Amino acid sequence: MLRWKYSRPLLTIFIALLALAPVLGSNPLSRPGLQQTMAVAFIWGGLALTYDLLFGFTGLLSFGHALYFATGVYVTCILINHEIVSWWLASLISIAVSALLAFIVGSASLRTSGITFAMVTLAFGEAGHVILERNFFNLTGGENGIALNADLIPSFWISVVNTKYIYWTALAVLVFTYAVIWWVTESSAGRVFAALRDNELRVQVLGLNTQRFKLLAFVISAALAALLGDVMLLAAGSAAPRFADAGVTISLLLMVVLGGAVTRWGAVIGGIFYSIATTRMQDLTQQDSFKTIPKWIGGPISEPAFILGLLFIFVVMFAPGGLSGAYYRLRLKAITKKSQ
Amino acid sequence: MDTFILILITGVGLGALYFLIASGLSLIYGLMGVLNFAHGSFLTVGAFVGFWVASKMGFETSMPEFILAMIVGGLAAGLFALLIEQLLITRLYDRHIDQALVTVGVSLVVGAVLGGWFGNDLRMFPTPSWFLTAIDVGGAKIPADRAVYIVTAVLLLIANWALLKFTRIGLIIRAGVENRNMVNALGINVRRAFSTVFFLGGFAAGVGGVLVSVYSNGVSPLIAGTYLIYGFIVVVIGGMGSVPGSFLAAMMIGIIRQFANYYATGLGDFVVVILLAVVLLIRPQGLLGKVRA
Amino acid sequence: MIALSVKDLHVKINESHILHGVTFDVPAHKVTALLGRNGVGKSTTLKGILGLYPGTGSVQLNGQEIIGMPTYKIVQTGVAYVPEDREIFSTLSVRDNLALASRTKNNGKAFETIYDLFPELNSRASQLAGSLSGGQQQMVAIARALLNKNEILLVDEPTKGLAPKLVTEVANALEKTAHETTMLLVEQNLALVRRIADNVVVMDQGRVIFQGSPENLNDPAWVHQMLGVSGGKL
Repeated sequence: MLRWKYSRPLLTIFIALLALAPVLGSNPLSRPGLQQTMAVAFIWGGLALTYDLLFGFTGLLSFGHALYFATGVYVTCILINHEIVSWWLASLISIAVSALLAFIVGSASLRTSGITFAMVTLAFGEAGHVILERNFFNLTGGENGIALNADLIPSFWISVVNTKYIYWTALAVLVFTYAVIWWVTESSAGRVFAALRDNELRVQVLGLNTQRFKLLAFVISAALAALLGDVMLLAAGSAAPRFADAGVTISLLLMVVLGGAVTRWGAVIGGIFYSIATTRMQDLTQQDSFKTIPKWIGGPISEPAFILGLLFIFVVMFAPGGLSGAYYRLRLKAITKKSQ
Repeated sequence: MDTFILILITGVGLGALYFLIASGLSLIYGLMGVLNFAHGSFLTVGAFVGFWVASKMGFETSMPEFILAMIVGGLAAGLFALLIEQLLITRLYDRHIDQALVTVGVSLVVGAVLGGWFGNDLRMFPTPSWFLTAIDVGGAKIPADRAVYIVTAVLLLIANWALLKFTRIGLIIRAGVENRNMVNALGINVRRAFSTVFFLGGFAAGVGGVLVSVYSNGVSPLIAGTYLIYGFIVVVIGGMGSVPGSFLAAMMIGIIRQFANYYATGLGDFVVVILLAVVLLIRPQGLLGKVRA
Repeated sequence: MIALSVKDLHVKINESHILHGVTFDVPAHKVTALLGRNGVGKSTTLKGILGLYPGTGSVQLNGQEIIGMPTYKIVQTGVAYVPEDREIFSTLSVRDNLALASRTKNNGKAFETIYDLFPELNSRASQLAGSLSGGQQQMVAIARALLNKNEILLVDEPTKGLAPKLVTEVANALEKTAHETTMLLVEQNLALVRRIADNVVVMDQGRVIFQGSPENLNDPAWVHQMLGVSGGKL
């Protein structure tokens, strides 16, 4: 990457531009349609980042991360719709509930490790998904989910003309998530996470309780995922079981692997790219020119999972490190060439 | 009493379907450490090929025709599994996380291809008409298809046991589950055992796919979903690498789930997860699993 | 005649460099003992020869280069291995453990020889190997290696953790086989080494520092300097 000295101001300017774009005269981002797409993309970027903390930085292959995202969406929606608390307090409660849930599930599943851990988190995540689909006590609305009662949230988030506020909220929460994860991974705890991934035994020899550190990473990423879920509730306007689907976690995995793990920005770019790609690909396949492609090849291509799945296999097999990994390899080559 | 028998047998039937998935998952994991997310795709491929064979026969099949569809579906799934193993898994030798990731990719691509070709609507699977009749067991009217699931699962369990117990490749597989490197150090190419296990696991999943399509009233690219996840749960509870453990856990889960669901819809899944948590806390290696050195 | 020739063998495990160019020869039909303090790379050398750890350099068996070959092929060329922690298959019966190891069809004679050497294994053939005592497990591990026709036997600390009476028994078995095959033996028990070794190779920090006659083992000063122990267990 550019040296940090230069990249920090550049990054600040870029984020400022993104933030100002909706009100800076006429540009694509002054349209509510693109604002909405980008808001959702920012949420996915943030979510991919929370997954990077688990998978990339700590080496925990969790298949149940969607559970904590959905906890944010559902808990907030239920608390608001039943007029129990305001949006602000509801969000805080949902984050706390998610952290607590992660603490309980994490305590049980971290008794296993590696591939078994993946299976166990998958099972817990799917249980959550199934429970949301069942509409216990008439709370979750079953398979259809529940619509957010728009009268009960702050008015600047409502109506299409105000999409820019959702855009700003999503951007702000993404920046906040980035800051928290940057702080966590650069702190002394972050170094323990990285050491855990590389060599758990070494950390144990140092006398550190590895389980506690893993659990810490698990809980932090769950709390942040719930926060992103709160914003997703605003952007989507409803809570639906699809937010808890194992497919969500698998998408996160794709985003992190495609963007490149352990670099933070790789995960964010991966999430944003993935989110935009899936929406745009569906638009493309609706066009007339697409209908001329024979169905046996056109059919699969119209499913975003086809190309993304192939790309994913390719990256895992031949380009480990994904986009950011490739970038750093190129930089390394350039530097070694210069120094010769 | 009637209801009790009905729920019990339905539970056993469901457990039989779980076993067909879990047996392969368990051996693949036990021998190679591969968490195989593509196992659901094996099931779906088997279901579609079986469906293709059966629908050649018309809207209804005779029992031999149905069995043929089941076997062809199983073989197709087995060959597909072998292809995935040779093409992708072996190239990531011992990179377990990457292997799991690649199988995730395979499941996405297979789902997209089948979805793109056939759409995600259910297609009715042609079965023998007597599947829809009821058998009288101790006064309870049991749908006849349940018997087919149970008999198939038991046959596969026996075949599996015989293979592991009486053949050289079975001996190699049993030893490999315990200590793969030492099998290599005895001059045996353990990778050939991997391929065998992938083929057999794919075969069982493919046969399971045909039966799952009968149970869910039709074929679609989405039928594997919950079965794969239940397969994983069964493997964890039964113990990785233990086929009898998978059988025991599958039956247990099938029965418990049906009984819990009878008293409250949806409670079944919840109870199963509680069971999983309890097993993990008390016996992390699973019911019949061995603690790994 | 040289049966096994190791030249400049390097082994890296993960990032750590364990063997820094190990070079030594194992003469045919002789017992060569590989000695050294704990952690100098003796077991790693055996595993490197077997291809269980990927290594670079050269390992030749009767003049044929075997480095880089998959482990199972190396073993098939006639390298038998008795690992440090026995690594018998505890969930299989004794009979199955032996059947797995035997690579030939008509192996009745080989089994007879094994059962002559270790009669206990015959009477316990259907017992699960995991339920055997440590000494019996070691017998299974050695028997497994002796079932096939081998060019060389790699034996890693066969008496480790055994009671004195069993040490004698294992030593007797090794001595009997020593006359028939080439052996590379890693062993801490110097009394046993003095008894059966024809050559001695001493390693330190991933390198060979001495290769020669076992007579030096009778010199306490030499032993102390080379192996860091005084006199050796008897």
